[in-house]
Amino acid sequence: MTTLRPPAHRVDPRARLMWQLGAATEVVVLVTALVVTSPVLDLYDLRWWMPALLATYAVGRVGLVPVWRYRVHRWEVTEHAAYTQTGWWARERRLAPISRIQTVDWDQGPLERVLGLANVTITTASAAGAIAIAGLDQATAESLVAELTVRADAAPGDAT
Amino acid sequence: MNEPLDDATWHRLDRRMLVVQPVQELRRFLPLLVGAFLAGGTARGGGLGWELVAVAVPVLLGVARYLTTRYRIHDGRVELRRGLLQRTLRTAQLDRVRTVDLTSGPVHRILGLSTVRIGTGAGADQDLDLDSLGRDDAQRLRVALLDRAALEGAPLTDPGADPGAADGAAPPEPDRVVLRLDPSWARYAPLTSAGVLAAAALLGVATQVVPDSAWRLDRLPDLTPEGGGWVVLLGVGLVAAAVASAVLAVAGYLVAHWDLTLTRTPRQWRLVRGLLTTRETTVEDARLAGVVVREPLGLRLAGAAELGAVVTGLGGEQKGTLTLVPPAPAAVVAGVATEVLGSRSPAYAPLHGHGPAATRRRWLRALSPVLVLLVVAAAGVLLADVPALVLVPVALLLLPAAALARDRSRSLGHALVEGHVVARSGSLVRRREVLGVGHVIGWTVRDTWFQRRQGLVTLEATTAGGRQRVTVLDVPEGAGLDLASGSSPGLLAAFVRDGR
Repeated sequence: MTTLRPPAHRVDPRARLMWQLGAATEVVVLVTALVVTSPVLDLYDLRWWMPALLATYAVGRVGLVPVWRYRVHRWEVTEHAAYTQTGWWARERRLAPISRIQTVDWDQGPLERVLGLANVTITTASAAGAIAIAGLDQATAESLVAELTVRADAAPGDAT
Repeated sequence: MNEPLDDATWHRLDRRMLVVQPVQELRRFLPLLVGAFLAGGTARGGGLGWELVAVAVPVLLGVARYLTTRYRIHDGRVELRRGLLQRTLRTAQLDRVRTVDLTSGPVHRILGLSTVRIGTGAGADQDLDLDSLGRDDAQRLRVALLDRAALEGAPLTDPGADPGAADGAAPPEPDRVVLRLDPSWARYAPLTSAGVLAAAALLGVATQVVPDSAWRLDRLPDLTPEGGGWVVLLGVGLVAAAVASAVLAVAGYLVAHWDLTLTRTPRQWRLVRGLLTTRETTVEDARLAGVVVREPLGLRLAGAAELGAVVTGLGGEQKGTLTLVPPAPAAVVAGVATEVLGSRSPAYAPLHGHGPAATRRRWLRALSPVLVLLVVAAAGVLLADVPALVLVPVALLLLPAAALARDRSRSLGHALVEGHVVARSGSLVRRREVLGVGHVIGWTVRDTWFQRRQGLVTLEATTAGGRQRVTVLDVPEGAGLDLASGSSPGLLAAFVRDGR
């Protein structure tokens, strides 16, 4: 049976930390909101399983999912194609030919800036065909953008 | 009339547009105008000034637009200049022109005018709009734009050795009519989802318009006493809504598609249609990426279908899909699809099914909501005081759910036919999508944990036209990748493993 091999490179290991920090922020906000509202609004009796449920969610969200995500996320750029694998529960592998690249974007959020990471997004003429690589080392991302831009320029035609 | 347009001189809009513009601007200002007159009429005097302003401003705007808008074709580009205070110059390379749309509303038609919209594929806001030109000038501009684009893109060679077989062989004789709408096909209109929507909208309007008191029990003494009256009333209401929505759907069909004519020119497809507002859309061969055969359940049962063309760079409300054949007998749709694709096979050849795992997923997805409902109802009967009779209608829901699952799993299929990626799915709205291999940009392979366990993936071929993708639902991974490799061999070769 024909199968698709995974892309060659993992993203930077710090991406795991970035996803964990993002998830932790989310969990802290959620817990704070619950702690603040429960005595004030007196909406519900706190049962033993409620904190348990919340703890399970927090452990999964912070401990499990980012690790799973890091194991899935991979990328590869060859002479002819860009290939990525993203997701965790639902996995998504995207392939686009270099000759059809329209734009190459580089961006960095505040958390990524602290960790020295960056994202690269490659768009094609199809609105459904953008390829995003998250959590790359900043320098790797920069050289990847330069490389892709040169290769895309070299390809003839209007990329539709 | 055949003088060349490419002479570096700037052309103006047609002078008759001076009449259209004020009328259209007046229509836009109508609420304001009414307000001005009401205020002027009912309140104290001195309102006349405002009325004059409200009339004069739109007229002046129209004159300003006429005076400041110019266009020309020069040096391989089409250029559009406009604006009084903030001037803009919009240019597009002729070889980037994908579509040319001529639209004439009722006012335009009386005056012999057409609005020209030049699509470049860079998004609707990047289109070049000319409102409006004389009908002859508009046609001349269309020819200049598209024939130049075609000639520069691929120089004419020996017509006998035309290599464009993938997008339909070019017939030697120019301008052949492929399809002319038969108004009797409007009978299919109520069977589409649009017909159902019209019914829902009508019902919504009815509940809004009819005063609340009409719905009150005590206002309907004749109907209420035995309780059976309500059933009659409900029945009459439903029948009336159904009839009204059917009439609306038929009327909508005729207004939108009246006199629809699909014409084959040597390098383009031209579609003209419309009763009040006529629209003429011209699509170059190179921009026709594929077709979609849509068979909503109602149409399928009546032996009908509709056909859309997937067009790259088609902007505006058409969203990349151009309706070539509105609901019509299946044989008509098949004929046009065959003409457009150059062969009958891509749209009608048998497909490879997706196997038992995909079928199981269809059944699970259709039945599980009903089963959950059944469990809840059973729990209600056992634990609470819910009458056991409730279980009967819930259990009866299993029948349509099973029918849906069966039909959905039978619909699933894919194939690579004569240079086209073909995928079919759906039941209530079954779609068979056909996309030329050259128009496939990239591939997306998606699988959830459940799908991975069953060796299935959801495959997407991304493209610049239509819905931007063709989806192959729940296909076994090996078969899906064979389809992708077969249509984009250069792209996948480095990444596939043949682990036989």
